[in-house]
Amino acid sequence: MYFAGVDIGSTMTKVVLMDVDGTILSTIKGPTGPEHRQLANEVMRMALEQAKVPLKEVAYIVATGYGRLNVPFADRQITELTCHATGVYSLFPNARIAIDIGGQDAKCMKINNGKLVDFVMNDKCAAGTGRFLEVIAATLGIKLEDLGALSLKSTKRVSISNVCTIFAQQEIAARLSEGEKAEDIIAGMHDALASRVVTLARRFKIEPDVVLTGGVAKNSGMVNAMRENLGCEILVPPDPLITGAMGAAILARENYNKAISQGEPVATKSRRLDKATFFSQ
Amino acid sequence: MNWFMGIDIGSAYSKGVIIRDSELAACHIVLSGANYRTTAETIRQELLKQANLTQDDLTNVVATGTGAASVTFASHRASEIVCTARGTNSIFPQVKTAIEIAAQSSKVIKINEQGMVTNFTISERCAAGSGRFIEVMANVLRIDLKDFGPLSLKSKQPVTFSTGCAVFGESEAITRVTEGIPKEDIAAGVNQALAGKISSLAKKIKLEEPCAICGGGALNTGLVKAVEQELRTRLLVPPQPQIITALGAAIAASTK
Repeated sequence: MYFAGVDIGSTMTKVVLMDVDGTILSTIKGPTGPEHRQLANEVMRMALEQAKVPLKEVAYIVATGYGRLNVPFADRQITELTCHATGVYSLFPNARIAIDIGGQDAKCMKINNGKLVDFVMNDKCAAGTGRFLEVIAATLGIKLEDLGALSLKSTKRVSISNVCTIFAQQEIAARLSEGEKAEDIIAGMHDALASRVVTLARRFKIEPDVVLTGGVAKNSGMVNAMRENLGCEILVPPDPLITGAMGAAILARENYNKAISQGEPVATKSRRLDKATFFSQ
Repeated sequence: MNWFMGIDIGSAYSKGVIIRDSELAACHIVLSGANYRTTAETIRQELLKQANLTQDDLTNVVATGTGAASVTFASHRASEIVCTARGTNSIFPQVKTAIEIAAQSSKVIKINEQGMVTNFTISERCAAGSGRFIEVMANVLRIDLKDFGPLSLKSKQPVTFSTGCAVFGESEAITRVTEGIPKEDIAAGVNQALAGKISSLAKKIKLEEPCAICGGGALNTGLVKAVEQELRTRLLVPPQPQIITALGAAIAASTK
């Protein structure tokens, strides 16, 4: 018997397939395109193939993320906040604060005994999200995955005075033309983003353990900048992109067990991964 | 004879005027570019040529705008708010509130009968609250900035933007384009979104009628209409809305 979590984020789609003991059998990550339904099917199929698990043996599937309603084969949709908190807690049982910086938002979750008790979120302004790094990386002509290593070479951080991503883009072009080094600008940009996310997180009392997840946590320069701005140690999971999908898979198992104990039917047999269109159910 | 020059170096465009007895004698607008100092010099030369003058004929030069410090030949500097107020007052003496939509900021300025500033609010931290939003969106829609207003006025069903951020708005506009929504409906939605931001800015200080609108944003007829609808008031638009602040600088020069 297997369980799956599907996390459709604004930038990346993630699937985690788990067995009954909670061991991860496969994880698939792919860019979220405009066609969520097609993609959800595709990544799910890939995860099954990788683990050599037939679909009919998957007992329960939980969908999460902002595209969670576009996963026609899921048994249940659960918000990404709950899934993140669950995923983080499974990896770090002492986690009290989880910060997730995604491609289109940043959230700070307060966790108590594995339960989400409160959260704050920014999805209004790109300057406080991973999108800021994407836009600036494109301006500098540098790949997103190279930002971290490059920023660590910086010896003289260039401070960026504009908050707005679009104005900062202009400011950075000006700094470049003045001869500032890309690595110093990137270090400044990491500091700028980190200070905005930390301002958000400080609505809560920051208590260890603090865990950083989301695509941005893969950027070592950002992790350092977050550490510096928070003034405390930060834990990062080995694969910070999949905590949401992992939490969804864990919740899939919990939901299944609950349904069975209450004698509710679970729709394993009728599940299909047809080539769905935008309008099919 | 007393001639006065006003130079306004903005983040996108630089504007200059020469006045004599409060009459416009010369006016010039150029892209600001990277070097404000040479831009200011270019404007000065052009203005002097247009008015057939030499530098010695000028009694005073006042510089304003983001790059005011780069106008090395200026005798004085003045704040943009003060200059916009004076410029507006010289054209519309009855106006009590001036709205300026510039490339990198928006301002709402309250003015008394003497053309003095009594109160103001400014938005300069967010591209979605400035003319820059229109520029970004015109780029996404691949339409010329000057066509943006007329196109948006053709819309019967403006789209509603769910975000107040220019970067997220860009993605949203692209999504709407791929969904086959007509460009005029997206352009109209963009104007409405910016008008909404201007309106909340204006609400911070009580709006007093009559009102005028200036700055490059006032060239966008669709935006002017959207702001009028948001504020439920008529807006007076000067013939050359971009030069109002430079004009105000020249007027300030005449009173130094």
